[in-house]
Amino acid sequence: MGRKLLLEKAHVEGIRSFEVYRREGGYRSVEKALKTMSPEEIVEEVKKSGLRGRGGAGFPAGMKWSFIAKPEGVPRHLVCNADESEPGTFKDRYLMEFIPHLLIEGLIVSSFALGSNATYIYIRGEYAWIPDILEQAIAEAKANGFLGKNILGTGFDCEIYVQRGAGAYICGEETALIESLEGKRGNPRIKPPFPAIKGVWGRPTVVNNVETLASVVPIINEGGEEYAKIGVGKSTGTKLISACGNINKPGVFEIDMTISVEEFIYSDEYCGGIANGKRLKACIPGGSSVPILPANLLLKTAKGETRYMNYESLSDGGFATGSMMGSGGFIVLDEDQCVVRNTYSLARFYRHESCGQCSPCREGTGWMEKLLYRLEKGEGKSSDIDLLWDIQRKIEGNTICPLGDAAAWPVAAAIRHFRDEFEWHVSHAAEAQTRNFGLAHYADPIHVPA
Amino acid sequence: MSDTTLFKVTIDNISIDVPAGTTILNAARMIGGDVAPPAMCYYSKLEGSGGKCRTCLVEVSKGSEKDPRPMPKLVASCRTTVMDGMEVKNITSPKVVDARAGIVEFLLLNHPLDCPICDQAGECHLQDLSYEHGKEGTRYEFQRRTFKKHDLGKYIQLHMTRCILCYRCVFAADQLTGKREHGILDRGDHSEIATMIEKNLQNDFIGNVIDVCPVGALTDKTFRFKNRVWFLKPMNAHRDCPTCSGKVTLWNRGEEVFRVTARKDQWGEVEEWICNECRFEKKLSSDWTIEGPRLIDRHSVISQGHYAGTVGTNMPTETIEAVLNGRKPKLLMDIHEVSEVNRPHIELSKINGPAHSNNFNPDND
Repeated sequence: MGRKLLLEKAHVEGIRSFEVYRREGGYRSVEKALKTMSPEEIVEEVKKSGLRGRGGAGFPAGMKWSFIAKPEGVPRHLVCNADESEPGTFKDRYLMEFIPHLLIEGLIVSSFALGSNATYIYIRGEYAWIPDILEQAIAEAKANGFLGKNILGTGFDCEIYVQRGAGAYICGEETALIESLEGKRGNPRIKPPFPAIKGVWGRPTVVNNVETLASVVPIINEGGEEYAKIGVGKSTGTKLISACGNINKPGVFEIDMTISVEEFIYSDEYCGGIANGKRLKACIPGGSSVPILPANLLLKTAKGETRYMNYESLSDGGFATGSMMGSGGFIVLDEDQCVVRNTYSLARFYRHESCGQCSPCREGTGWMEKLLYRLEKGEGKSSDIDLLWDIQRKIEGNTICPLGDAAAWPVAAAIRHFRDEFEWHVSHAAEAQTRNFGLAHYADPIHVPA
Repeated sequence: MSDTTLFKVTIDNISIDVPAGTTILNAARMIGGDVAPPAMCYYSKLEGSGGKCRTCLVEVSKGSEKDPRPMPKLVASCRTTVMDGMEVKNITSPKVVDARAGIVEFLLLNHPLDCPICDQAGECHLQDLSYEHGKEGTRYEFQRRTFKKHDLGKYIQLHMTRCILCYRCVFAADQLTGKREHGILDRGDHSEIATMIEKNLQNDFIGNVIDVCPVGALTDKTFRFKNRVWFLKPMNAHRDCPTCSGKVTLWNRGEEVFRVTARKDQWGEVEEWICNECRFEKKLSSDWTIEGPRLIDRHSVISQGHYAGTVGTNMPTETIEAVLNGRKPKLLMDIHEVSEVNRPHIELSKINGPAHSNNFNPDND
């Protein structure tokens, strides 16, 4: 049983209320940080902890914090990215819904570290009920002197505002989020300048994921070095994984990144195995935009080593034989699932969510969707598969923001690993409408070159 | 300002010293010729433009003298500033040429290619771009997206189907008129330029959105379907205008002034913005003092006859009926559906020679 840092108290009766949260040891980190530490010390502590951004890219959080520009007399801002819209990812929702004070606590400490007197939580519009929970928590924290003017008598002022999005995946991209927060159309900005130099209203800004900011609390409480001892290598601390798909126990799990993928899927503590006694076919280990992996490459790397649930091991082999930790949306597909249909469904999502600003993503996502629809309906040609490959190659890396990459990677990985299933959809078009390709050889042991 | 610092940048093996803060695109334009990457959305006179169309992607093979690492991805040259000692590959990089061909294909994906009835044909940046950087065919086999026609007032026609969403007109309207005139509705490939909701664009300088539009999405209603641009003779002219500089280009055929536009430089960018009165109202030679013929530096592929020899080798096999879903129009597209100028009862095929505005003059009915 791994250690739990974030969700340990999540199921204590009444933990949503300030009194219970405080009784369970909440807001200790605020007292410690504001009274005994300087902002630089907090940043240093977060750096030491090796905490990596939990939103998807896995960029070291302490490093990101140290990049923020500090011009004289210009206010700085911290923005919490709660626009969790990646298909398959629902960990932040769980955290905000069950233990909202943990996020508020993390936000106060982080705001102090970054010198932000006005901190924003940008939450996706579809989470219609969560802003109320957060605002309730903010009001309670304020009533108890942890927010507002002169927090705990230290002279530090901080306000937290909750801003709702209007239902756009693209607003989870940090510069699009900033635009949307400013009340404009959520188009990603062209970088540079990065938000750390020019963010909200042209002021230095740090945008962090909900889970990242919540993780600051145990880091301050226990110290960065202690936190870094949990986990393995550069994957320190615990990570929330939202598991869904054909598994017995879908839900949010906190893991300490030392367990293997196999254990995560099959152990009763986590996913509890594949539902209905089926066999594992494929898995998207980090939210819809990371490459899909067939069962054999998921459980073992191309070198024949066991694959673990951490940043390095999941990306072992690059995109050729690996994937990414991403945002922790673990989507499991059993042998009855059709990879072509799954890929089409993702392509449709990205087509719908492309902001339409830059041409490769705007036009390419729609084109891929149409081709995949045709393949799925059994009207495709075998040249369509090569065409898809070429389109994704021309989108990837040529766009303003990572949405283009996110749209290209799932298609690329599906073709890379499941090409015969695509070809079967062309060669056995009529049959493909009545049954699925099945498990085929996707769980067979892979040949490991000596 | 410390603008006196000069950075040495090498683009396609040609070196030039440019002031710090110059973008790669502008440095390349200083060199000129084929070295300058094409730009569909960047407009030097519009703040914030650029970075969207991705046609100006270049490869940075050496970051700078201090940090010689190459940049991992192709960068948009219109929004990337030069560093000292930077080495850039434009047309010498196969990666760039390939990526650009892909971008052209993407831009043309949903473009109707109705050049035969489009007023922009002959001075269309997308035509030039696809001729210079594209492939001869598309691999797109699906229905193209279309839009309903929006009415933007008595001067400007918005033909959203042709739009490549460069955002230039949005920037132009924002920056020239001081108040937000129009914007983008929706997302992705169904996003569109629109006024909220179906309002007119009304401002003294709003006509300039026609000049900044790289394609035929925004056209001049006083000129629509009157003449092809390559039959017209551009003349520099000016008048004493109370609102703008009054320096324009007249497009004449014989004595008749067909249209008035702002003067454009060799990159197709407006030199000085002109007002609506000059552009739309003054269509008589007597309104203007003619200075002399205007040299158009950046020749269109059509006016140069560049298309010769490209047709015929790769003829499409589909019939027109197949392309048009079984419709059999006499013309490739029924012009009466899109034109307010033409009289529906005038049979275009009955007119001798090229159609002239006189043919559509109500007096001749």
